[in-house]
Amino acid sequence: MNWFPLQRFTVYGNSMLPTLKPGQDVLVWCWFYKLKVGDIVAIKINVKEMIKRVRQMSSDRGAFVQGDNEKESTDSRNFGWINKKDIIGKVIWP
Amino acid sequence: MKFINLLLKLLPAKPVFAHCDIPCGIYDPQSSQLASQTVLKMVQKLKELQKPQEDKGWMDYKNSMIRMILTKEQHAETCKREILILWTDYFKAEHLEKFPDLHTLVWQTTKLCSDNKRVVDEAKAQELIEAVDKIADIFNQTKK
Repeated sequence: MNWFPLQRFTVYGNSMLPTLKPGQDVLVWCWFYKLKVGDIVAIKINVKEMIKRVRQMSSDRGAFVQGDNEKESTDSRNFGWINKKDIIGKVIWP
Repeated sequence: MKFINLLLKLLPAKPVFAHCDIPCGIYDPQSSQLASQTVLKMVQKLKELQKPQEDKGWMDYKNSMIRMILTKEQHAETCKREILILWTDYFKAEHLEKFPDLHTLVWQTTKLCSDNKRVVDEAKAQELIEAVDKIADIFNQTKK
């Protein structure tokens, strides 16, 4: 768990267009949050931090995430379901 | 809003990636289609190759034959590689749902690439072209 509940990230790439643009800052809440379908989350895939939207939830498998710009996104359609432990937090701003 | 601005100023920014691994639009079945057509062309040229009447023509004959076989071999390999790139990096589960025969089609096409290395057979080369064209057609439909 992070020492501070909020983290600031800067978005790189097009996969969350039109919701999030490259260069835009987001604030991510990392402590005790409840996720639901439609939330945007920061996740960690191997060593890389990514930002995607939750499309499906499952109690045993975690979350299935996708980019809003489906044609330009590498997401759960490629790397499968995300474990809960790989979710850094939930985007609370903007 | 002021509080948000303060937070944005105070918190260090880390990059978070929203991009695909490779910029989109670089996947294209055309290279595999060209490779499959080259395989057929080489088979046809090999079949047409005339044995020399005189001894002095043998070197050129062998040279041409080896070059054609080598080109056929290389293009069959290129074709297989390009199809496998589409299979592993481009096609997604949703495409398989929409085109349930895709798995078998890719499997048969890559096997046809290997077959075409092994033999000099016009029918097999034609079969490869048709299989690659089917994959290209599916690819184009997913782009609509």
